[in-house]
Amino acid sequence: MRLLVLLWSLGPLLWQLRTSLLRPEALVAPLLEGNPWTLANYQLVLSGDPPFWRYLANSTLVGLATTLLTLLLAVPCAYGLHKERGPLRWGVGLALVAAAMFPTVLLFLALLEIARSFGLANNLLTLSLPYTALSLPLAVLLLRAAFADLPGELEDAARLEGLGLGQRLRFVLLPLLGPALASTAVLVFLASWNEYAIALTWISRSDLLTLPIAIARIGGGSVFTIPYGAFAAATVLGSLPLLLLVLLAQRSIVSGLTRGAVKG
Amino acid sequence: MKSRTVTLLLMLPALLLLAAVFLYPMLRYGWLSLQASSVLTGLVPVPNGGANWGRLLDDARFWTDAGQTLRFALCSVILELLGGLALALLLHRPLRGRGALRALTLLPWALPTTVMALGWRWILNDPHGPLNAAIHSLGGSSYGFLSTPATTWFFVVLADVWKTMPFVALLLLAGLQTIPADLEEALRLEGASRFQILRRLTLPLLVPYLTLALLFRLAQALGVFDLIQVLTGGGPAGSTESLALYAYLNAMRFLDFGYASTVMLATFLLLLVSLGGGWLLLRRHGLERTTERAA
Amino acid sequence: MAARPPFSSLRRQPAVVGLLAVLLLVLFSASGQRAVQAVAAEPVPIRVLMPAPLADAVAGPVARFNSSGSGVAVEVIRGPLDTETISDLAISSLLLGEAPFDLLLVDVSWLPKYVAAGWFVPLERWFGPELLAAMEPGARLGNGLGEHLWRMPLTGDTGLLYWRTDLMPRPPRDTAELVAISRDLQRRGRVRWGYLWQGRQYEGLSCVMVEMLQGFGARWWDDATARTELDTPQAVAAAAWLDGLLRDGVSPRAVANYAENDALQSFAAGEAAFLRNWPYAWREIEKGEGPVKGKVGVTAMVGAPGEQGGGTLGTWGLSLIKGSPHPEEAVAVIRWLTSPEVQRQLALEQGYAPTWSRLYDDPDLQRRAPLLAVQRQALQHPQLRPPTPAYAQLSDLLARQVNGMLTGQAGPDQTMATAQRQSLQVLRSLAGPPGNGSANP
Repeated sequence: MRLLVLLWSLGPLLWQLRTSLLRPEALVAPLLEGNPWTLANYQLVLSGDPPFWRYLANSTLVGLATTLLTLLLAVPCAYGLHKERGPLRWGVGLALVAAAMFPTVLLFLALLEIARSFGLANNLLTLSLPYTALSLPLAVLLLRAAFADLPGELEDAARLEGLGLGQRLRFVLLPLLGPALASTAVLVFLASWNEYAIALTWISRSDLLTLPIAIARIGGGSVFTIPYGAFAAATVLGSLPLLLLVLLAQRSIVSGLTRGAVKG
Repeated sequence: MKSRTVTLLLMLPALLLLAAVFLYPMLRYGWLSLQASSVLTGLVPVPNGGANWGRLLDDARFWTDAGQTLRFALCSVILELLGGLALALLLHRPLRGRGALRALTLLPWALPTTVMALGWRWILNDPHGPLNAAIHSLGGSSYGFLSTPATTWFFVVLADVWKTMPFVALLLLAGLQTIPADLEEALRLEGASRFQILRRLTLPLLVPYLTLALLFRLAQALGVFDLIQVLTGGGPAGSTESLALYAYLNAMRFLDFGYASTVMLATFLLLLVSLGGGWLLLRRHGLERTTERAA
Repeated sequence: MAARPPFSSLRRQPAVVGLLAVLLLVLFSASGQRAVQAVAAEPVPIRVLMPAPLADAVAGPVARFNSSGSGVAVEVIRGPLDTETISDLAISSLLLGEAPFDLLLVDVSWLPKYVAAGWFVPLERWFGPELLAAMEPGARLGNGLGEHLWRMPLTGDTGLLYWRTDLMPRPPRDTAELVAISRDLQRRGRVRWGYLWQGRQYEGLSCVMVEMLQGFGARWWDDATARTELDTPQAVAAAAWLDGLLRDGVSPRAVANYAENDALQSFAAGEAAFLRNWPYAWREIEKGEGPVKGKVGVTAMVGAPGEQGGGTLGTWGLSLIKGSPHPEEAVAVIRWLTSPEVQRQLALEQGYAPTWSRLYDDPDLQRRAPLLAVQRQALQHPQLRPPTPAYAQLSDLLARQVNGMLTGQAGPDQTMATAQRQSLQVLRSLAGPPGNGSANP
């Protein structure tokens, strides 16, 4: 059973791994004589113009900037929402749920206009602005649930000690929020790493492309045939960081969602 | 009232950004959909008296795509819920190496859609992909999986299920963890079979989570774009084109921003209607409680 | 300010400070790079976006230009092969307002759209009317719009009719002969199919329709009224002829899913008597070792009896992108790439039709490029696709309707009536209220 599940999840990826290590001739003629294995596909991808690690770096940069900005905006918002008792609590909450479900692709045209009129295009840091907005709803919902889980007396005690709001957040609440922050950060990072429609329309310089676009362009921009070996190598290289991240953060992703997603 | 002001100020930056990115586009589309804004007007908006909406009603392509998108969304979401439930039940059991198993099954969800979309294209390649290679070795002749509407559609759904099933499983796993273990134990002591426990205890308690996964996935699947753009480009002969892809083509290929806005707004409205339908259907099953807590 | 503390407190965290530092560093290095690029602009870089086959075709001339001490370094960006895909790539770059290239190789059918969007610089400052006057009539078309010249043509390709020299003594003169010869050959079992063409739902089908509409005395587009005329009796006759090819078995049903390459593949395998394709197909057939190698003739596209036929114009040319920082140097590149010298090489090595009349008069080239005479003849009566910025949409919906007819969903009458109705609707929704409708630049 376990094997079956693993085969389903990893089979296609393992096939890409195999493809990436085969000589192009071996791909079309399975019974080729001689050693069919090669690292040439990886060399090709890494020595391209721009080299493949450039896309990885671009995606990482956007991901980090988005994660940082999202947390900077989401923490105060979640705290405020947690404290809010009026009708806004209900309204903002519902709006956040609606925004979290919104299909991103429907936004691209208006965002493209914004990018053009404010000169935000072709810049990885400004790209993190819409990404932050896309991640904010889920982040706020998760963090608000985390705030709600903290014992209220703690903050009251700190207030009596004379700590201001900033100090309370910094020294009392945020440290306790560590796991929730971590899982939120991972989810935000993943979302921005994988975003397609907006990156497709905001970035036109090939040295600034993010990973999903760069990879799609290898295939969509096929000349006569798609260089499947090189492409598979790109897939593997692009998957490795995520494999690492998921292995490391698996526990906090699950626990974060347990606490937040539905309750939040 | 000071602390109230503080909480409002704390929320303000995030809400402003959200309004700019979510609310503004919808208002903008609403306005643009009443304008001609195309190459014929030099990309300058000129009111055209609702001609875009009239065109939409008579646009067979739009309605075909709407049907295709809806069919895709329903099929893939149902399969994802079933598969995700099975996966979640498996991952919830105390197995050896559960952490690693969870991480590895999560991987398809963590990868960019486009990465595996191209991977699938290779796997389905005619005649060199592994699937056709297997058919060859069995003595068959290769098959153009991506040049026949029916098989193409099937594999688009499959690719989507493969990618998002882990996400559904994750949500349901979170739900499973809220079910007290002693309840299950008590039922078992009463002599209930595993299936009975699933039916009488687990599923009813999972309903809010299933509902959330359903609505969330339905919304996302109705906006499907990158998978289809990279895997099939909408083909063969438009048979897998989604509404989002049609809107994208109108904007980026035809440079017809007025009509593209109309298509996007119409897609959004269809989405609201579909979700509303789903909402009403599931209303009796404790959904209200979920959303109240969510809000 | 009560809202500030969380921010400032976060900033005190070492990890966050580190992250910010990294971000800043990357930002600086990125902008630094740009500055260096600008200062060390020697030689001047000129970037050209081309579809891959043409990019490969001009690689030699570009290398010669770069090493000639012109002070310009031409960098050819190899775009995708598919015409629509490369247009998508160019458009998404141009929409953002800062194009990453200086020159674009433009298909004749894109020009009105790009000009209407305001992305090109007029070229008449550098290229006078005497230059175009020295070109073949077909090559002169589709470069100017309104008062201006927007591109310099590099190739003079048109749609052509390929025929089998081993099956018939001479090519057909009109559509009736084409069908008669086909059916005769099919009846005698000499060949499986008569005529292969592009019937898939894509822009290639629109090119076929342009030729057929012309060949039956109809027209797709009326420039004066800026309207389509798809529901005239002649237009319906053109559609009905194509439909009849499938119903009578002159063309296989599979034609409804054929693009250029599918049709070429089948023709090259000896399965048919006639093929509609672009000039490059000749090289492909003669290059290989297929059964029809050396048995293929080429002629201009035929029309109905008594009508003037003609091939769809499929020329490529270079346009200068607005906002290019080095227009003078870019124009020098246009001048070189469109020069007779380069075109001669393209004709010899790749079979692309030249645009300059004097190349067609060159006896040496005539001898070594056997298609030249036919290509010249085809350039005398070329058919333009509707020169409107809305062409992409009009083509999309006509191809959809006609493909529907080929797959048996509607008859020719209804097909063309629907296409006409939808075309007018599209134009109305594109153009705004009447009075704005003739915004055809």
